[in-house]
Amino acid sequence: MKTLNFSFSTKLTFDDYVHDHSFALRIIPPDTESQKIISCSLNISPSVITKQTVDAFGNNVTAGYIHSDHRFLDFDIKGTAEVDSSKHNIFLMPCYLYQSEYTNPDDELKEFYSELKDNCTGKPSDRAVYFSDILSDLIEYKKGVTTTSTTAAEAFAMRAGVCQDFSHILISLLRMDGIPARYIAGLAFCDGETHSWVEYWTGDHWEGIDPANNCPVNDDYLVISMGRDFRDCAIDRGVMFGRYTQQLQLVRSVLT
Amino acid sequence: MTQQNIEQFTKPVGNANEINELLRRYGVKFGIYKNGVFNEQFFPFDPIPRVISSEDFKSIEKGLVQRVNALNEFLFDIYHDKNIVKDGVIPENFIYISKGYLAQCEGITPKNRIYSHISGIDLVQAKDGEWYILEDNLRIPSGASYPLIARELTRIAAPDAFSENEIVDNRNYAKLLKETMDYANCGGVSAILTPGRYNAAYFEHSYLAEHTGSVLVQNDELFVEDNILYHRTYSGGKTRIGVLYRRIADEYLDPLNFLPESLIGIPNLMEAYRSGNVGIINAPGNGVADDKGIYYFVPKMIKYYLGEEPILKNAPTYLPFYDNDMKYVMDNLGKLVIKDVAEAGGYGVVFGSDLTKEKLEEFRKTIIAEPRRFIAQEVIDFLDLPILNNGETVMRKADLRAFVLSGETTKVWASGLTRFSRNPDSFVVNSSQGGGFKDTWVLKTST
Repeated sequence: MKTLNFSFSTKLTFDDYVHDHSFALRIIPPDTESQKIISCSLNISPSVITKQTVDAFGNNVTAGYIHSDHRFLDFDIKGTAEVDSSKHNIFLMPCYLYQSEYTNPDDELKEFYSELKDNCTGKPSDRAVYFSDILSDLIEYKKGVTTTSTTAAEAFAMRAGVCQDFSHILISLLRMDGIPARYIAGLAFCDGETHSWVEYWTGDHWEGIDPANNCPVNDDYLVISMGRDFRDCAIDRGVMFGRYTQQLQLVRSVLT
Repeated sequence: MTQQNIEQFTKPVGNANEINELLRRYGVKFGIYKNGVFNEQFFPFDPIPRVISSEDFKSIEKGLVQRVNALNEFLFDIYHDKNIVKDGVIPENFIYISKGYLAQCEGITPKNRIYSHISGIDLVQAKDGEWYILEDNLRIPSGASYPLIARELTRIAAPDAFSENEIVDNRNYAKLLKETMDYANCGGVSAILTPGRYNAAYFEHSYLAEHTGSVLVQNDELFVEDNILYHRTYSGGKTRIGVLYRRIADEYLDPLNFLPESLIGIPNLMEAYRSGNVGIINAPGNGVADDKGIYYFVPKMIKYYLGEEPILKNAPTYLPFYDNDMKYVMDNLGKLVIKDVAEAGGYGVVFGSDLTKEKLEEFRKTIIAEPRRFIAQEVIDFLDLPILNNGETVMRKADLRAFVLSGETTKVWASGLTRFSRNPDSFVVNSSQGGGFKDTWVLKTST
């Protein structure tokens, strides 16, 4: 068990005024068996009334709407959590066994899996570790070659990507192998941005694995959101109106 | 009443040209996109009514209420405990591979546990008089407005027909719909959401809004604040919406929960819905229950949830997914109709008898490669109905879309949309594929 202090901030800026801006943030970490949220405060600017719900995947959703003109949206979160990765989450949604939009394999990825599958036997945990080992040799961790809308098949074809891409490819392989798997967005000790990793179903509980670092998930990982793939987990999603041509997003996270 | 007595009703009611001219004047059209171009088409009305005896209707009514109640139970189960899968009645992957299954709807319970408020169930009558269910439409079934307005206009053109015959008045559809909407209302006004006038069923959206006293809205007038759905009024104020009868597909409904590129949805609508602050008609996620692959299991659902024998039959259906059925399909492909489960609107329907030998072999391979993608059905030799074609009576294939409304109780509208095929050899009666419609008379009492 470990106590983690976390903080996270995002700044969205627009080069012209926007209005009728609806947003949904998945930023307040969920309380689960393996993490207890001791305290958590969220600040949003410009000031706006927000409402909390819990979505189908167990994520806290903060929804808001800004009618009047504004040129930025800042939000930051600060809190303390107790993480104990030896405690297990045991609720399985059946949909995690099935491929989703970002993880759907193409022929190349399917073929890659069929070449691997004979070498990998044993428990789901052995297979997950095996796939992660293979990916860590094969895929280069490289920023700037993929975007948030890159699929597992596209990143695999480039043999390069960031944590999100490693997660999508691993999930795709696990699901092809009959192992339910889910995408996790969160904070980890290793970087100053948000991180992503994977949880797979061992047969009776969820277990974390970090394919981008090819290591198991321990008490230094704080889950912010989870789902079938990145689409269910985006930290913020928004729709706004205006003549803006670009928006800049800055993200800073600290985990101590 | 015997079939023979019913056959006395083969006379046209009113003058077809006159009624069709009135329908044109009222703007009764539906739109079709073909090769990327939007065309509005007139939906031709045939003046010879389809007549259903009172006994026949009573049995159809009982069967439809039973079927829709079971489908509603199924939707609740799938988005909660999934007992029907755990008990092995439906294989798991039929649920989760279905495009209509929306994981985002897991755990949401709509008001009064009603998912399919308006169900459009397509039936055909075989030559022996037996009725068969062809498909269930539980998402946004359209078509009720066409027979409604046709009846109104026919009453004007031929008032005697309705005073001389004992026909159940069908002008209560708007009342039934309003009751259904009110029952799903979570506090606020009723609204019908249309994607706009370039939609296939725009005429219907405006017609139903007017007749149910609902506000006809488009997405740019709506917003979610405080997890409550509001309509921005012309004066700049806001009115709370308690129930939204949306005429856009699930995937476009909320760009923050479904397709992010949707320009016709309402951001955070799902948050308002999940919070119980607005009713959505029909519930998002219903597509898992009217999937052509799930159709096969509906009779099993009726037994599972209601402990009853199904009153209405499915067309004999085979799932190539099961080995026994695959063998039958392979041996009988030439006489079966094969449907692609992902397609709708009469598309993706192939009659084995229409295929050349080479095409048949090619298709065989496709089915073997993707067994879950297809269902196969016996071709039902369904009853031809008389239609007037250039002054002559000819016989054409026709189906019946019955409308079932689920509010405090489940009710079947005593009418429906009878569609017929234009082409004498065609079994496909979907309005997107040409063809026309008839008034559907349900007789009051048996004689």
